[in-house]
Amino acid sequence: MVTISAPPDKPRRMDWLFDKLLSGQGIWPAVPAIIVLTVVAVIPFVMLLSLGVSEFSVSRGQIIDQTFSMRHVTSVLTDQLYWTTFQRSMSLALTTTAICLLLGYPVAYVFLIGGKWTRRMILILTIAPLLTSGIVRTYAWLVILGGRGVLNTAMMNIGLIDQPLRIVNTHWAVLIGMVQIHLPVMILPLIAVMSRHDRKLEEASANLGATRMGTLRNVVLPLSAPGIGTGAALVFTLSYTTFVVPQLLGGGNYLNAATMIYEQVVYSLEWSKASVMSMLLMSSCLVVLVGIALVTNHFTGWTRGRQG
Amino acid sequence: MTIAQDISLASSDKTAPVLRVENVSKRFGTFTVLQSCSISVSEGEIVTLLGSSGCGKTTLLRCIAGFWAPEEGMILIDGHNTVPVPVNRRPVGVVFQSYALFPHLTVEGNVAYGLRMRGVPRSEISRRVADALESVSLRGFENRYPSQLSGGQQQRVAIARVLVLEPRVLLLDEPFNALDAKLRGTMQIELRELIKRLGMTAIFVTHDQEEALTMSDRIAVMQGGRIEQVAPPDEIFDRPATAYVADFIGLSNFIPCKVRDGKVTLPDGQSVATKESDTVKVMIRPHNLRVTAQGTGPWQGQVRFQRNIGPLIEYIVTAGEAEIRVVAMRQDRTRPWSEGDAISLEVIDPEYCTIYPAV
Ligand SMILES: Nc1ncnc2c1ncn2[C@@H]1O[C@H](COP(=O)(O)OP(=O)(O)OP(=O)(O)O)[C@@H](O)[C@H]1O
Ligand SMILES: [Mg+2]
Repeated sequence: MVTISAPPDKPRRMDWLFDKLLSGQGIWPAVPAIIVLTVVAVIPFVMLLSLGVSEFSVSRGQIIDQTFSMRHVTSVLTDQLYWTTFQRSMSLALTTTAICLLLGYPVAYVFLIGGKWTRRMILILTIAPLLTSGIVRTYAWLVILGGRGVLNTAMMNIGLIDQPLRIVNTHWAVLIGMVQIHLPVMILPLIAVMSRHDRKLEEASANLGATRMGTLRNVVLPLSAPGIGTGAALVFTLSYTTFVVPQLLGGGNYLNAATMIYEQVVYSLEWSKASVMSMLLMSSCLVVLVGIALVTNHFTGWTRGRQG
Repeated sequence: MTIAQDISLASSDKTAPVLRVENVSKRFGTFTVLQSCSISVSEGEIVTLLGSSGCGKTTLLRCIAGFWAPEEGMILIDGHNTVPVPVNRRPVGVVFQSYALFPHLTVEGNVAYGLRMRGVPRSEISRRVADALESVSLRGFENRYPSQLSGGQQQRVAIARVLVLEPRVLLLDEPFNALDAKLRGTMQIELRELIKRLGMTAIFVTHDQEEALTMSDRIAVMQGGRIEQVAPPDEIFDRPATAYVADFIGLSNFIPCKVRDGKVTLPDGQSVATKESDTVKVMIRPHNLRVTAQGTGPWQGQVRFQRNIGPLIEYIVTAGEAEIRVVAMRQDRTRPWSEGDAISLEVIDPEYCTIYPAV
């Protein structure tokens, strides 16, 4: 047996720190994350906020003469244009979330009841689109939905229509794109929750007299509520704040909050208004997320109150 | 109670079996899990399917419940073939091995589930749920979730959940598996009493023979997808139909013997009549043997091992080639034999031995 004694050097500060970070109690293990988040999120956030509630001028890329003012806040809040834009964003995001849920849930259900190969196919088809960027997928929709796109050509060839339909640059193109881009984000949490389901519960339900529909409504659906909540929250957040899809498929004349902020920063250089709008976007998004969380909590009360 | 049920009760003869399984076979691909199983269960009877792991007990139960369809054979409940009847319309209640309680419903919600699915009126639901919970002594637990119950309580909820529907046949798949040994013992007796009190007909699955002997009116011993013997517990133990059953239930010694003139001569010189011929295996239970001083009989041996198990003494005796197990009551006055002692063996009751063809 060879014993290696610890080198008798001075107590090491770093060791103590690593010890705390890796196995400490309380907030210690969260310290690195807190530091990173402060640098990359909180500080820029405060700077952004300060732009919204101040007057300033810009000289050589530097903000100078900054003074407190609520002028931009009131001007945004009183302008009808901003309200309609936010309304459009909200309804687009809510519709996208609802459609994704309606389309995604059956896929997840088929995953639940399907065999090994069905499950694999669904996973592959769900994940594959995520391997390409959203911009590429959005451009693909231009090819499909465009005036001489695949869809119009096909419909004209079989004589369904004489004139190409104008789909691109409309609300519909944006909605189709949004649903397709965000569908996997809805399906994945649903699948994650459903693959943990105990299939015996469905058998028990059938044995107790429930039809397939009854089992779906009374067992499968309530048990997948956490997945629905997560999926809805993710899809809503992403589609409420998205910028690429409305910009490309809306052809520049479809304004939602995100595209409007982009225009104000890049073209009109209204940084203060952009800042106020960003704050509104973020806080209204939070309100909806809290709403989703409350509803989900209501339906998942049984997961709390566990013993020990 | 519905009119249809009244008619079926009136027209059904009390002695006619509630459940008849006839020549049921089940295959998975080319692998045969059940081979022509037949069994019938009469009103108010508890029949146990007993067998080692993988012998097809769960498979047979799932065929009766309708989760799987057998490739051959019929399953009749009150004389009607149920094979084409979908799961949710069979008058069969299943208590699952893991209970399969709905985690998102309270105890009350779980028990009410089946009644709700059948569209029973609300007021009747609450009355029947209360009755069912009463019968399993779970009043006061209505608003708990399954995760807030102990294993024994969960099991009683699972039972109440099917009892409330008054099924014709109750199917229980190893319902005591998740319980600790002590609770298991009391729950076995309680469950048997409950089923008897309600007059339910039940099929019960286990691989624990003691449980089977405690719970059942009749035991069906299964092996490799076949039913080897169906008989009351005493008969299964005392007159096992096949060598497999004899070996599976209780402890046993198998001794090869020759048949001459319709008689088997046991190693200790006594003889038993038999219909078999040539060579046979005689099964002698360890408690049907007595150890005596050497020289008292022709069956000589040596004590290899001796141990006290509470009120019993167990010996392992080497007699020629064979290892013979003997169990005796411990009495103060008889001298316990110790390891290494040379002794003689004697069969107490030759008629209690069972004889099988030597394979
Ligand atoms: N879905 C299935 N596909 C293929 N083979 C199966 C399937 N289910 C069960 N089997 C096989 O059928 C045989 C009987 O299984 P079963 O579950 O009925 O056994 P069991 O008697 O209930 O055993 P245990 O006491 O371990 O529960 C086993 O050999 C098992 O491997
Ligand atoms: Mg089993």
